Amino acid sequence: MDLSATLGRLTLRNPILVASGTFGYAREMAGLVDFSKLGGIVPKTVTQKPRPGNAPPRTVETASGMLNAIGLDNDGIDHFIAHHLPYLRTLPTAIIANIAGKSEDEFVQMAEQIGKESGLAALELNLSCPNVSGGVDFAIHPEVTHRVIERVRAVCPLPLIAKLTPNVTDVVAIARAAADGGADCVSLINTIMGMAIDWKKRRPILGNTTGGLSGPAIKPVALRMVWQVARQVKVPVIGIGGIATVDDVMEFLVAGASAVQMGTVNFYDPSAAMRVVGQLPEALGVLGASSIREVVGTLD
Amino acid sequence: MELATAPRFLQVTSRVAENVLLARNTFRIRLHAPELAARIRPGQFLMVRLAGTSDPLLGRPFALYDTVLDAQDRPIALDVVYLVVGKMTTRLATLRPDDRVELWGPLGNGFPDLSGREHVALVAGGIGQTPFLAHVRELLGKRGYGGDPARRRVQRVSLYYGVRTADLAAGVEDFERAGAAVHVASDDGSVGFHGFVTQLLGRHEPPAHLVGCGPEPMLRALANLAGTWKVPCHLSLETPMACGVGICFSCVTRVRTDDGWDYRRVCVEGPVFDAANLARDDRTGMHHG
Ligand SMILES: Cc1cc2nc3c(=O)[nH]c(=O)nc-3n(C[C@H](O)[C@H](O)[C@H](O)COP(=O)(O)O)c2cc1C
Ligand code: FES
Repeated sequence: MDLSATLGRLTLRNPILVASGTFGYAREMAGLVDFSKLGGIVPKTVTQKPRPGNAPPRTVETASGMLNAIGLDNDGIDHFIAHHLPYLRTLPTAIIANIAGKSEDEFVQMAEQIGKESGLAALELNLSCPNVSGGVDFAIHPEVTHRVIERVRAVCPLPLIAKLTPNVTDVVAIARAAADGGADCVSLINTIMGMAIDWKKRRPILGNTTGGLSGPAIKPVALRMVWQVARQVKVPVIGIGGIATVDDVMEFLVAGASAVQMGTVNFYDPSAAMRVVGQLPEALGVLGASSIREVVGTLD
Repeated sequence: MELATAPRFLQVTSRVAENVLLARNTFRIRLHAPELAARIRPGQFLMVRLAGTSDPLLGRPFALYDTVLDAQDRPIALDVVYLVVGKMTTRLATLRPDDRVELWGPLGNGFPDLSGREHVALVAGGIGQTPFLAHVRELLGKRGYGGDPARRRVQRVSLYYGVRTADLAAGVEDFERAGAAVHVASDDGSVGFHGFVTQLLGRHEPPAHLVGCGPEPMLRALANLAGTWKVPCHLSLETPMACGVGICFSCVTRVRTDDGWDYRRVCVEGPVFDAANLARDDRTGMHHG
């Protein structure tokens, strides 16, 4: 069985990654998760300056899902490079840093800075975080998406993954702009903007009022978007959204994802990603396949 | 830097041994989980999730109530006491012996070692008494946890326990049997002192150390009393958690730092904090939420 996943310049041991913001800085999972089993780890988004994050409550459970408005709580890129990267680069799996800028310039400066560091397999650009002040996702315009990736491309040698928001009318147009701008692949979806209300208090439940929906509830939306993008855009796609089981992974591969990221499931089943990797060979066997490649984008 | 060696926590499928009513809407569930029971310490918690469903989706944090030993005195199970408040606990209350749940733990820092104090007062409100039974037993040398032998650490332990009304008082006999002097207060006067548990506490001599767990207003009153008395005080916080293990950044509270305050994860840096290190939200006066 060949479980390896090919994403342009990036080759992974297997197609199972853990998603940014849902696996901390990996340290937290040491001992429970055998990192060498994973295709890769995307640590929590880093911003240029430290951010305290949003006021609590930051998460609330919804039907088969959850809303979050963490607000990119992190200690900034210098701290990431000094304190988290030295640990991450020792781990026996691919590490894909994830950054978010408040402006194009911030994206470019951070990409340049982190691109000089050793031990990273790729860089994911979080073009889609809906919880930063302003409330508007970054990559909702194809032109902005194209330009920021082109500029990052020029200063950063790492394979680039553009992480896209589902909170747009035409995700394909954004994905195409990312590909044209020089992204090696696109990953989707980030969370879907949502809200929860305590009607007795007439108040929103989240400290930030709105938040991003994730978990099994969003899988059909993610699957649809991955399928649309994979058949219309030429770069490889990383599928994200509600993936919790090996069946979910196979659905995304068939829909056209070359790899996947598991997110919210890490919260409620911390060994899920590792377990799913172990179940992949049997699932491939069901389709008579002996490699991941053979099933990617094979929807009839 | 932390070293990634021994497992920090375990994830297991656990068999329900029993699930019994302790007080109104309050149950004690006994979960068969030998490795976890052998490692967990007072003040730590575990996450419990119902197997085979995505609704409710997330695990819920529950404090260790006590560990259970087998005939050879080896830890074999652990008890958790819960109040039925929502979707998850409503379902939990329907579980029968031999049903399964998913568990992960032990999680959090646990209570500090209070060895050498003469008198420790534990102050609980609502369902906040649950982390204290194991703590009493450890402090009085009735039981060792996490592989430690039993050893008496303090002379006296008192439990000050505030409830809304009499039939919600859960586990009072357990605390008495463990050797704590129990003082109950109730909002409606139906049992014990009529008033807040911190008012009741204030009528007694200051102890050498205070530990609190309960609703935010109670914790605030307790921290204030501790300040007046100049008695060190630890608080066990309960914030909304999604993972319990430090990867989601949901559960934060404000902690004092050199240059003001920063949000810190209650599930890994707590749930037990020195009250002096907590910073309150200027707008709400609250530690969190
Ligand atoms: C609590 C939480 C925090 C997240 N933080 C980030 C983040 O920092 N950066 C990012 O790119 N995505 C973040 N995400 C989005 C996830 O990486 C993922 O795209 C999304 O949750 C959908 O996948 P899932 O349904 O498997 O969780 C976060 C999601 C959750 C639930
Ligand atoms: S509950 Fe997830 S970080 Fe604390």
